[in-house]
Amino acid sequence: MNAVFRKLQASATQQAFVFNQALTTCRATPSIQHPVWASVNERQYKSMPTHGIGRWRHLLPKDPPKKKRDRQQMKEIVVETETTYATLNVNVSGYDMTVVEHFSQHIHNLCNRLGIKVLDCYALQTKTTEVWLMQEQGTKMSVDSFLKTHNRVVQLRSLNATMCPIFLEVLLKNQPEGVQLSVQEHTEEDYKTRFKGRPELEGLKAKISH
Amino acid sequence: MAAPCRRMAGRSLLQFLSSFSRTSVSNSGFRQFSVCRGSRQAQHVEEIASSPWTLMAAVCLQRLPVISAETNPIEQQFREMMIQMELEKSMLSDHELRLLNDAERIRRMQAGEYDSDEEDDRRDQEIVLAQDLEDSWEQKLKGFQPAARVSDSEGDPSSVQRRLSDSLLLLVERPVGREKLWMLPQTEWQRGETLRETAERALGSLPAASGFKATFLGNTPCGVYKYKLPRAARTESSVGTKVFFFKAVLSDAGAPPATESPESSLLWVTKSELQRYVKPAYLMKVERFLLGF
Repeated sequence: MNAVFRKLQASATQQAFVFNQALTTCRATPSIQHPVWASVNERQYKSMPTHGIGRWRHLLPKDPPKKKRDRQQMKEIVVETETTYATLNVNVSGYDMTVVEHFSQHIHNLCNRLGIKVLDCYALQTKTTEVWLMQEQGTKMSVDSFLKTHNRVVQLRSLNATMCPIFLEVLLKNQPEGVQLSVQEHTEEDYKTRFKGRPELEGLKAKISH
Repeated sequence: MAAPCRRMAGRSLLQFLSSFSRTSVSNSGFRQFSVCRGSRQAQHVEEIASSPWTLMAAVCLQRLPVISAETNPIEQQFREMMIQMELEKSMLSDHELRLLNDAERIRRMQAGEYDSDEEDDRRDQEIVLAQDLEDSWEQKLKGFQPAARVSDSEGDPSSVQRRLSDSLLLLVERPVGREKLWMLPQTEWQRGETLRETAERALGSLPAASGFKATFLGNTPCGVYKYKLPRAARTESSVGTKVFFFKAVLSDAGAPPATESPESSLLWVTKSELQRYVKPAYLMKVERFLLGF
């Protein structure tokens, strides 16, 4: 019985020891301010075993540092294969900007739903047409209106040959009034037309060559 | 070498029929089938007998709607409500600002304490008021007569101008067996041409369709119809026909035929009217790839 008693005592003391240790560790947390033994310079929470338990950012792979925006590179034109087309440009143009933009958004959403990959979706330059009315008597012309033609392009990556008639038919049937639709293959010239011309550079080049 | 080719051909055909899906696998399987046939020149007699099906290509020529579709009463109400809301939320345009300024100026001129030297606007603003411009535009609008939504040839099924707000499908009458049936224009496939060329030939061979200009939407068929001949007519070499449908859109109808010959039996029908003319089994396959109603 003594042995049992001793064991019980031992276990009790062990438990008490553990409990005391827990107490001391609890006491060291900064939430319980005991200015007697927690001085300002001593950072006692860093020695806690659970310090940094929630850290996860060091586990992520290192991202490359974000560099400044590079000059726009041209995206590679996808080559035509036996069952898919090359990079196609779906060009939506019209006078009414809201209708043109909404239709191009509709095409983009349709491609997402049908599983057609969209490479790029951009707008071309707005072209302004001045309409001059000729007077009935005489040759004087007067300004009637300014018409702006808006252009939106949705670039498709590789359209499957089986998907093509279905896709085109849905586009044609949903085409709104006053909107022109055209589907062409993408070329380098199409990409170059998006950039502004640089007349000074061309002038200097001409001077150098002469 | 011929034996494995034949087996592969048979298998790919089965795949195409059973799956009915438009994946590139079945498509390439079909392509291999046609190439395989062409390359075996010496033993091509055996090759023909290997498939008892005659292949045909048909064109599904559609005339897209010319005017906007009719709206429901609910759609009309919603449209009017949206127009009113947008008008109330919008800001004044240049023209409306000009109207307000002109009205203000006239009011001040007529008030009596008006000194024209105080005005720093340009002189020619007084000559043409915005209100005058608006009146001239109203006059022009009154002079404009839009065409009628319902054309004259509404009830005539063979006219392209009917049902301007719906899309129409071209049907022709062809003798099949002992009776004449309505179907999409089709011709038989010949060796050495693609199925799309066969469909283009089918369109061009119509007597009344000489003026039709159509744009084919793709190189791949959109549907297939399999027809087995009745048991009495079946032989070793011909079990039936397979018709592949290609989609095309009418771009120009051309001039109507000068002479109304009774043989030129063309019909332009909507999808809902199709069931009146076409056999049920054929209709079931054709309806699958027709969009709309």
